[in-house]
Amino acid sequence: MTTESVTMAGNKRTEEISREVMRIQAGVLAMVCAVLGGLLLFSMTVWLVVKDGPGAGPHLSLLGNYFIGYSVSWGGSVIGLFYGALTGGIVGWVIGTIYNLVVGLRK
Amino acid sequence: MSSRALVIGAGPAGLTSAYELAKLGVSSTIIEADEQVGGLSRTVNYKGYRFDIGGHRFFSKVPLINELWREMLSEDFLLRPRLSRIHYRGHFFDYPLKAANALAGLGPIEAFLVMLSYSKAKLFPHSEETNLEQWVSNRFGQRLYEIFFKTYTEKVWGIPCNEISADWAAQRIKNLSLKEAIRNALLGAGKSADGEVITTLIEQFHYPRLGPGMMWECCKELLAEKGNETIHGIKVDKIRHRKGRVESVIGHRSNGERVEFDADQFISSMPLRRLIQSLDPLPPDEVLAAANSLRYRDYLTVVLMAKREHVFPDNWIYIHSPEVKMGRIQNYKNWSPEMVPDPSRSSLGLEYFLWQKDEEWTWSNDRLIDLGIKECAQIGLVEPDEVEDGTVVRMKKAYPVYDHHYQERVDIIRNYLDTLPNLQTIGRNGLHRYNNQDHSMLTGVYAARNIVGEKNDVWAVNTEQDYHEEVRSSETETVSTGYTKTMGDRAVPMPIEPDEAEQIIQTAFAKLDSVALGVAFGVVAGVGLFLATAILLLKGGEFVGPRLGLLRNFLPSYEVTWPGALLGLVEGGLIGFALGFFVASLRNWSMMAYAHLLKRRAETQAAGNVLD
Ligand SMILES: Cc1cc2nc3c(=O)[nH]c(=O)nc-3n(C[C@H](O)[C@H](O)[C@H](O)COP(=O)(O)OP(=O)(O)OC[C@H]3O[C@@H](n4cnc5c(N)ncnc54)[C@H](O)[C@@H]3O)c2cc1C
Repeated sequence: MTTESVTMAGNKRTEEISREVMRIQAGVLAMVCAVLGGLLLFSMTVWLVVKDGPGAGPHLSLLGNYFIGYSVSWGGSVIGLFYGALTGGIVGWVIGTIYNLVVGLRK
Repeated sequence: MSSRALVIGAGPAGLTSAYELAKLGVSSTIIEADEQVGGLSRTVNYKGYRFDIGGHRFFSKVPLINELWREMLSEDFLLRPRLSRIHYRGHFFDYPLKAANALAGLGPIEAFLVMLSYSKAKLFPHSEETNLEQWVSNRFGQRLYEIFFKTYTEKVWGIPCNEISADWAAQRIKNLSLKEAIRNALLGAGKSADGEVITTLIEQFHYPRLGPGMMWECCKELLAEKGNETIHGIKVDKIRHRKGRVESVIGHRSNGERVEFDADQFISSMPLRRLIQSLDPLPPDEVLAAANSLRYRDYLTVVLMAKREHVFPDNWIYIHSPEVKMGRIQNYKNWSPEMVPDPSRSSLGLEYFLWQKDEEWTWSNDRLIDLGIKECAQIGLVEPDEVEDGTVVRMKKAYPVYDHHYQERVDIIRNYLDTLPNLQTIGRNGLHRYNNQDHSMLTGVYAARNIVGEKNDVWAVNTEQDYHEEVRSSETETVSTGYTKTMGDRAVPMPIEPDEAEQIIQTAFAKLDSVALGVAFGVVAGVGLFLATAILLLKGGEFVGPRLGLLRNFLPSYEVTWPGALLGLVEGGLIGFALGFFVASLRNWSMMAYAHLLKRRAETQAAGNVLD
């Protein structure tokens, strides 16, 4: 583990607090992104349904191309919750894993 | 007379070294010029009124010293609240300084000018910080420096602030490292590595029930119980040495009687200049010249006994107002109620910082008491007819002076003293260092331990920020001089677990690898866009992905086709990389900026205590 490096250049000090490179816990990032993704899609859908009623959100409903069964409706919001979480989880996990892999390679 | 170790001076440093020697099984004799123990930390008793030379707060970040104090005094060691203010042109300002209080007290125009000069100092600071004026005005601005630092500091030191080395302030305010600042913030209000609450110690302090002298009287008794005698009334004026070893010291009683003491080991807490002048034979001219040019500031206190139960609530007040000569005023009953014989009375210690050559130094006590009464009335503290008695105590060499050349001179002397290995010099004046009791004592402890074979560098105490106090460790580190800096004190157990705070800091402030995060974001964005395009293409239809195709507004030549999917992979990847790289860099930069902010805050707060 590194400590602190202090270089003296005249009176000026350049300090480093930690020379450690952060590792990401892919599982944790996946969970965080899953929660965020799920809640985001759920709340966006609910917001449009509440605001504009049935048939709202023509653009958001295009997500149905990827998420089978999803639509901008009350039922769709629950399905969106699931898909958002799934996608978020995958994205988080992939980011964490690739990041750690690259950090490992660059060491 | 002969003993194994001989200690010169029964101040905190000398007595502590004898105390530690006793613990280590080495007997010693202590020789003291005065009739009382305690040195600068003595308590004077005048008709039942007790007072110190100044006011002696007991606070330390050194666990070993706190332990020693408690060991010597136990329940007589009171915890007292601290209140101190600055008196400046008829106003009282909180001290340590608080921005809002200071600005409110100065009035709107002065406050505006202060802010202006503060901004100037931040934008165009002095490029060098060699003297105290530059050091303080870089932190507070020239105007605040002039109001709150210049007059008082010049009263204390008797020389212009631009002739005082910045070391003086730096030694008191120790530059915090970034990590230390974070650690303080993390552990709460100013906790040091061993978890001790520093800030709280500044808001309150320990004080012996009957003044600081009580600690040293007690120490003397404990030493006597173990057969270590303190001999009073002998002033050492010769230290005889031969072939690199001190053989004896010679002193004189006030009646002129000459006394000589032999010993194997000698520890001196007498002023460094006097020590060198006492060596027999004298050292080389260069060393003697270096010693002769060390300077000390002298001090005199006028104590007034007033027929009033409460005069002011503070322990002490700094008197910045240039119209009066006094620099500080102590209210001893606020240090401990037992400092006065009658609760309906108060005793005030008016402190004057002088050179022995100053005219006031030679004034009669009556004349000085009259001056004190006049100045007290002038700043509105007590009326002349309330004062029923007074006394004066003069104390030579109260402050070792840090002028621009002191360090070179001390280095010359130190090198010479290294040639006399059985003589160690310790303490405040013994090392010519502006030490409080705790650091003076620590040098005594180290000198004692050196006698039984340890290799501690007494000169390093209170010089390096991380030395002893803030470093948790029982590690020893060999430094280039060949000394071993023993960092372990018995009160700091060897940490078995790595420091938790250190680990949290290491983890929280670990850098995000910008390239790695860039690659990760790039892969997700590129592959994501490729998949999004591919899914639409596979589904087919009359118009495939008209909305997704709008991305070409941002990604040149992108379209929802198979070649477009590949292009999206590349372009999405590049944009993702840039985003990831930026996010990681921003995060690293903000963590660093946050650490610097914490450091700045901690330094400003510490710099606010510079007068102490
Ligand atoms: C105004 C003032 C306020 C202070 N406030 C505080 C405070 O709030 N908290 C704090 O912790 N510290 C404070 N200090 C500092 C504290 O007083 C010193 O750090 C401490 O007393 C130093 O101890 P010492 O043993 O090194 O030296 P000294 O206290 O100077 O003791 C040296 C002893 O050696 C004796 N001696 C000298 N020469 C000879 C000789 N030739 N022969 C025989 N004996 C000799 C002297 O008589 C003296 O008793 C203050 C100091 C002053 C002046």
